[in-house]
Amino acid sequence: MEILVWLENSALSDIVRTVAWVYPAVETAHYIGLAFLVGAIMLIDLRLLGIAKTLPIGSMIGLLPWVWVGFIINVASGSVMFIYGATGFGVNRAFWLKMIFLALAGINALIFTLAASRSGSAWVDGGQVPAFVRVVATASLVLWVCVVTTGRWMAYI
Amino acid sequence: MTFLEWLQATALGTMVAESLWGYPLFETLHTLGMAMLVAALGLINLRVLGYKAELPILGTRDLLPLAWLGFTINLISGVALFTSDAVYFWNSYTFRIKLALILLGGINAFLLGRSVFHEAQISGGRYAATTGVKWIAASSLVFWLGAIIAGRLIAYAP
Repeated sequence: MEILVWLENSALSDIVRTVAWVYPAVETAHYIGLAFLVGAIMLIDLRLLGIAKTLPIGSMIGLLPWVWVGFIINVASGSVMFIYGATGFGVNRAFWLKMIFLALAGINALIFTLAASRSGSAWVDGGQVPAFVRVVATASLVLWVCVVTTGRWMAYI
Repeated sequence: MTFLEWLQATALGTMVAESLWGYPLFETLHTLGMAMLVAALGLINLRVLGYKAELPILGTRDLLPLAWLGFTINLISGVALFTSDAVYFWNSYTFRIKLALILLGGINAFLLGRSVFHEAQISGGRYAATTGVKWIAASSLVFWLGAIIAGRLIAYAP
């Protein structure tokens, strides 16, 4: 794959290769981004599933900016790591599985947003959380666990 | 043979070090437990600092089981990872710094839990953090962030 070779020979890769602290710093940023992103998602999904019921659902959904900040940090740091090791990661099955799980998690979030706006949001202000919301929250937790798992496994296959 | 060498030679130590799935499995668990622990404690600390003031302070106490679950997952997975290369980890300064930060974070969580939830309960849910308590909450955020950073750097800076 020519593009992978081109990426790996780019100026950015060169910096990562020659400046010793860049890769560890980027990897650490990826972990902090993960803590924001997956941590906030866990709190939101678990609240939808009935944990910590005295915390208003609306306020917990208000944690979504943390998810976006974490996502942006990780797209940026993830891209740097990918470009640095493009010829390896580009053919790494765990990496592509991770991308598939990420896409599914995104579709799942989209379904949630559409369905929630259509169903009305009375459940946000208290009351019974509809069954479909609980299904989507469970799927979200499972998918993000898969994203983290496949992400970690990339280094080992 | 020292204790650390013995630990590395145990069935668990060799399994984590040599099997194809041992190290990545415990690393994955360690990552998920970290997200759970840091998110739950992080939100409590941020709430004490005034973030999302509409969250009932006593309600945030229900996040403590999540923090404990994350901590337990990470204690177990962390011990498993440690046994795979006990001598290296024990002699690593980044590892020691990480342990110290976790200890400080734990002490802070204990102090915060005692004062915040205790006072909120007496006042029937109303709570305004004193400057001292806010310092504890703010330093907790720094400690946990520092623990993540030190943890990731063990692989690079012994």
